[in-house]
Amino acid sequence: MSLYSQTYYGQPSYGGPSYTAPVPQSGYQYQYSQQSSHPPPMPHTPPHPVFIDPATFRRDYSGRLDQLQFNSRPIIQGLSFYAQEYSRYADVVAQCLDSHIRKVPPWMKLPAFYLLDAISKNVYEPYARVFASFVIPLFLDTYRTVDDNTRSKMDEMLITWRTGSPNGKELFGLGPQMAIERGIWGDQAVRITLPPLIRSAHLFQGPGQITKPQVMSELNFALQAKERAIQVNHDDISAKHHIQVLLQLRNLVEAGVSQEELGQILTQLRSLVRPPTIQAPSAPPQPQWSSSQFTPLLAPNTYPPPTAPYPTTYPALPQVKAEALAPSLLVASAPEAQNAQLNITSILSSLMKSGLVSAPPTDTDVTKAEPAEQEPEEDAKPAAPTTEDLNAIKEAQSDYRKRILAEKMEASLVEYSIDDPTVAIPDFLYDYLSLQCQQCGIRYPDTTLGKRRLEDHLDLHFRQNRKLSQNPGRGHDRSWFISVEDWVHEPCDSQGVPRPVKIKAVHEKVSTTVERAENKVDPGSQYITVPPGDEAKPLSCPICKETLQVEFLEDEEEWVWRNAVKKDDRIYHATCHAEATVSTSNLVTRLKCEMGNGSRGTTPEARSTPPFVTVTRSPSRSPSSSPSKLAGIKRKVEHNGSLDPSEADQTPPLKKLALAQS
Amino acid sequence: MNAQMAPPTTQEWDLKPESEYRFELDLGAALAIKLVRGKAEIFGAELVPGKIYLFGFECKAAVFTWRGCTIEMSQPSTEYVSEETSMKAYGNLHIALEKMRVRSLLTLTGSSLTPGEPPSNARPSESPRVLVIGPANSGKTTLCKILTNYCVRAGQGWSPILVNIDPNDGGWAAPGALSAAAVHDPIHTYSAATPLGSAATTAPMSLNSNTLFPLVYWYGHADAKRNPQLMERLVRNIGENMDERFDKKAEAKASGCIVDSPALFSSGPAATTEVRQRLIKACVDAFKINIILVVGQEKLSAEMKKIYSKQLTVIKVPKSGGVVDLDSSFRERVHSHQIHTYMYGTNIRPPPGIPTNSIFIAGEPNSDLILSPASTTIGFNELSIFRIGTEAMAPASALPIGAKRVVSEMQPISVDASLPGSGLLNRVLAIMAPFNPDENERYDEEILDLTVEGFIVVTAIDQKAKRLTILKPNRGPVSGKTAIVGTFEWQDE
Repeated sequence: MSLYSQTYYGQPSYGGPSYTAPVPQSGYQYQYSQQSSHPPPMPHTPPHPVFIDPATFRRDYSGRLDQLQFNSRPIIQGLSFYAQEYSRYADVVAQCLDSHIRKVPPWMKLPAFYLLDAISKNVYEPYARVFASFVIPLFLDTYRTVDDNTRSKMDEMLITWRTGSPNGKELFGLGPQMAIERGIWGDQAVRITLPPLIRSAHLFQGPGQITKPQVMSELNFALQAKERAIQVNHDDISAKHHIQVLLQLRNLVEAGVSQEELGQILTQLRSLVRPPTIQAPSAPPQPQWSSSQFTPLLAPNTYPPPTAPYPTTYPALPQVKAEALAPSLLVASAPEAQNAQLNITSILSSLMKSGLVSAPPTDTDVTKAEPAEQEPEEDAKPAAPTTEDLNAIKEAQSDYRKRILAEKMEASLVEYSIDDPTVAIPDFLYDYLSLQCQQCGIRYPDTTLGKRRLEDHLDLHFRQNRKLSQNPGRGHDRSWFISVEDWVHEPCDSQGVPRPVKIKAVHEKVSTTVERAENKVDPGSQYITVPPGDEAKPLSCPICKETLQVEFLEDEEEWVWRNAVKKDDRIYHATCHAEATVSTSNLVTRLKCEMGNGSRGTTPEARSTPPFVTVTRSPSRSPSSSPSKLAGIKRKVEHNGSLDPSEADQTPPLKKLALAQS
Repeated sequence: MNAQMAPPTTQEWDLKPESEYRFELDLGAALAIKLVRGKAEIFGAELVPGKIYLFGFECKAAVFTWRGCTIEMSQPSTEYVSEETSMKAYGNLHIALEKMRVRSLLTLTGSSLTPGEPPSNARPSESPRVLVIGPANSGKTTLCKILTNYCVRAGQGWSPILVNIDPNDGGWAAPGALSAAAVHDPIHTYSAATPLGSAATTAPMSLNSNTLFPLVYWYGHADAKRNPQLMERLVRNIGENMDERFDKKAEAKASGCIVDSPALFSSGPAATTEVRQRLIKACVDAFKINIILVVGQEKLSAEMKKIYSKQLTVIKVPKSGGVVDLDSSFRERVHSHQIHTYMYGTNIRPPPGIPTNSIFIAGEPNSDLILSPASTTIGFNELSIFRIGTEAMAPASALPIGAKRVVSEMQPISVDASLPGSGLLNRVLAIMAPFNPDENERYDEEILDLTVEGFIVVTAIDQKAKRLTILKPNRGPVSGKTAIVGTFEWQDE
């Protein structure tokens, strides 16, 4: 499924999850429509009943534009709504936007362009028309001043403009579209840009200079589209196949191919990506758009919420499932498109013959690529509620804050309010939070979010109980207190559960070989780059429900989720995931689980030698002794010094053997 | 426990709105309470209806209800119902503090509640940083607990830092320690030995308040007057670390802190006035206190207002009628039981007739709070033991090289276990965090600024073999570490 299918405006389909990209540089991170980011409550004021004069509006709008200093979906949305509300001042909006983009430093230009894009696509009339008058110079001027990264983002945006209008035509009209494309990719490139089968009337054919970057950006774009298609319908084998082909093509282009081949690739690529007219929407739906005041403007079939099963209203897709490597994506489309699809494979094969491509996509390649593609499968469901959660959290917080601030009590008044007959506290502590955990009494609001939190909380009880039952039988003990550094950095999420603190590097040195062999990569050192704009969003590990910490990596100059690993498109704590994947029958794992259960366990030194500890323990433990008997009984460890990590190397051979076996 | 052994001697109480049921347990007695109807809380921690909560070890507490409830309990040593509580004042206080938190968070995150309004219009505000002072037995610790519990129950993800600088109280560690911990879940009251929840163990717990990660400094004595200089230094250390922590996250900073202080802060002979004012000043500076709560002492409240009313808010709050005057022998028992709890956890035998499998201790459904410490021997030379300041005159050989003969209050003095007068037997020793690994970063009195890793007790000294037998909380090694001895002694019961 392709991005070109964006026939329904109001749906920022280019906002696919950028992390599905199997290749690093292909990130089409058009982030204001991040899949995992639900917009906070629209920061736009409700429709003004009063009439605002243009001057006030201009001041107001440009003032709010100034806040758009980074790629923030809420701000973009708010400004977009605001523009829609005052579409009679489209000229003012256009002037503000134009001058804003021109005056801000290069790094702030892209978000503003996203706003321009959003307004044009979502409101369209009259904005696209108004913007069309200045979009060419604005785009081209901006393009010259920004860095390569931003340029590729602009390329991607430009490609979406080809089909950005409500009827699937060029968003700003063919003229501006062509002018811009010509401006950035060169004159001749454009001639071949639009495939004859669709737009032959407007174009003359001919070989031309096509630049490698242009093809690359379109390739990446197509790849992203395919990945989203898989995300929507993960049985879409044909899309998977397409991805294989596209990846091959990209390697090819990267390696360098002839001008003619570039042209061919481009042409075929576009027909591949060009949607059939009745193509189903490709991107993850954006419920907040459909539920917004844009609804009347939306195409008749609004998108289902992400949690919903794939709608049966799209007849094309079930068929797609059934068909193996056939070009099923285009089943419903014109036969030419089908040919195009076949052609792209044939290009590939011809290129292979000529020795440019080393090998066809083998089975191994497919399996290699598949994890990335399958990631969205299980994830489409859980990820989306998070988006809603975020919104709900914000709303709930804002509601609570308003209510608290509405109370008249102040610190300075407490002394004089002893005789005040009413006190608001039971409202806040009991009524406001009407769901209660029947295990420990912690309360949650009776909302969807509150219910989910309660469920998570009950899961925690369940896990704790399980941990308790998995107690290896040696009883529990008091942990050492944490160091100053750990205390200062002890991270906590809104649920208030502190994340298990990382084992310090010093202690890793004394890790046993057993542990080393298991984790070749230290899970704690893994990280995932945060998609731009997501830095502030809380994301919690599905295993421990604790928040992933966002950190700025100086070396990478990126915001990252520390100690994170992505599996099946969910982001876990690397340590949690490692813990969960290792077989639970393994003693080391059991001990690790135990130490990871939020209690800091024993000291790192002791943790690092669990098998050894067991060895020393076993003779003294009679088989019949039950955990309860052991509990509360002083343990005798004859020679404490032998537990000392510094002496670990002097472990007697017998114990070493046992250690290696365990 | 056999249910047929004794007939259940339970009793029901109907509590009117805003009244509380108070109970005091004698040594060795246990009490089980079940909430039958309505909603009730113990010092701010809510009870779940139908669950049996167990209380032990001389616990003195009160079940309070805002809107009335019925509770059922076995018979405690002393019990009565009071309708005169200070809870309304405490509740109002909580609302006021919540407002400060919300304002502070809005300021810190630069957001505003009304869209469109620039953040700069929001009233800049500090998070509440509360110091609770008052005379002995006025309910300071309880007030701190109530305010903390209400704060975490707001459902806003607050994690206030509860600071205990009353060495007589011990907080989460052992008596003699000064400590601070972020609290996320309500703290349940169940034993006099654990007034503020419990530090982390390897046992899985569902409430964070039973697995706290405190930052612990070792003062080593019960009396805050004994070494005010050291006290002041440790207070400032906690304050600095708290600031650093607050800088990491806006929500944490907005949650603020609540500081429980020793009784010394409120009263004492005239000779101590200077000392206590200095200590209060140190607290106010170190924790950036903006609210002083004076519990039930008019004179103190007036004094605080006179000194501090310009820079912060001084609020006089009523003392609860339920506070119990505690004698020094009770304090000693509590100290002993705190160390026991640190090592062995909590084991409360339920009253007759209560099935053991359905009880809640500390708000935990899994009532296994029993711990297993480890006993071991180590050579005299495996542990460097110090004492801060003078206790007895140390021999010249024990002084650090180049040190003057005059021993200051803050001077670490090496303690030699091989000398008969070392006085280490049955002493509680704090095992300190390692020194800075970088030699260049070391400084003279660094040991004073080290935090505590844990506590051990010297249970025997073998002069011939030159070994100490120690009880330690877990099997982690202590060999090669530095320890500081205080004035607390403890013997295994």
